[in-house]
Amino acid sequence: MSSSEVISHEDARELLPWLVNESLADEERDLVNQHARNCVICRRELEELERLHESIATVGDASPVPAPDLRRINARIDAMMAKEHRGRLLISRLREIVGSPLRLAFAMQTALLVVLGAALFWPQAEQAEFTTLTVPEQLPDGQYIRVVFDPNLDSSEWSGLLDGMSLTIVDGPSDRGVATLRIAASASGTNPDTVITNLLSNPGVLFAVPVRIEQQ
Amino acid sequence: MTRKKAGNPATGPASADEQALLDAVKHRDRRAFTQLYHLYHARLHGYLRRVLANAAIAEEVLDDVMLVVWKDARKFRGDAAISSWIFGIAYRKAMTAARKEGRYQSLLDRSADADTMPAASSQDDGLIRAALQALSPDHRQVVELTYYCGFSYREIAEIAECPVNTVKTRMFHARRRLKFLLPALDGTDKENKREQL
Ligand SMILES: [Zn+2]
Repeated sequence: MSSSEVISHEDARELLPWLVNESLADEERDLVNQHARNCVICRRELEELERLHESIATVGDASPVPAPDLRRINARIDAMMAKEHRGRLLISRLREIVGSPLRLAFAMQTALLVVLGAALFWPQAEQAEFTTLTVPEQLPDGQYIRVVFDPNLDSSEWSGLLDGMSLTIVDGPSDRGVATLRIAASASGTNPDTVITNLLSNPGVLFAVPVRIEQQ
Repeated sequence: MTRKKAGNPATGPASADEQALLDAVKHRDRRAFTQLYHLYHARLHGYLRRVLANAAIAEEVLDDVMLVVWKDARKFRGDAAISSWIFGIAYRKAMTAARKEGRYQSLLDRSADADTMPAASSQDDGLIRAALQALSPDHRQVVELTYYCGFSYREIAEIAECPVNTVKTRMFHARRRLKFLLPALDGTDKENKREQL
């Protein structure tokens, strides 16, 4: 917009609230001011808007602003960062186990194919059940959970995690924190998914998956 | 664009340190985040307290806004001013909260909620507040962002993520409604009285 330009009454009238709050760009402000000098309607409206601005800007000014209190937000950030840290730890652990990023990608692809294959061949399954060949064959039939503990935990810490959870360690943990847990027969009605959710709510458990063993 | 916002309660003087603080927050600097929180607390509090009826909800929304600032600092590319970005987050959070509040508020007598509202300093304050509450949330937002926060219409378009013409249209309708609700402000009463004398 050059200063030789003029502005229509409609355009000027629309911009009056921002002439009042002094936020118009210089050229725009000059054009609106120039128009208002010669337009009775805009001049009158400008006076009204100045009163309105004054009233709205000062309404409730007497109410005090409380001092900033960062306790709640700091707690939320702490929780968020702890979760991020656990995620990073799990990825680095997987990377350590699998090796290079390329092999990790390949392993994840293979795992995805296995899961998709399982879903395709057992679509009637009510819940995800996996039988792995690496589970010791001498284990009796039952419901098991394969977990990965944070390897930084010592034996008393990871056994403490299982207190009151009707779980017994039947294999492991290996030096990488991998262990097989049996859901106690007395808790046969327990849903493994609920147990897994409880396990994963603990920062010391990096990974948990159900395993069902049926000897043939 | 030159700006004059001396003494404006919401936008305040532009801080040269703001960018440095946000850059530090991008690198997860908690001390910089605390400073940024302090820098925006009064402005956000004032704005949220005006567009939300409940003080506790306004406090909660303020924390929600600053948590997004912490999480999304890295996504800020500098296309808009930092204040427009932060107020944009506040705008969206406040709109959601205002809609929820409205749903509950229709079941309650607003006057019963008076203890949670900032104290009205005069009778005029009460009238103006009632008139502002009578506006729809998006019209109210444009009015508050203009008259209380001092943003330009272009900044409001960035904050509300809408075209500038929508901002102008919302303001036009809000002005018309306020004029109807607050006839004393248009000065005609005084003139009529003067004519009668
Ligand atoms: Zn005009």
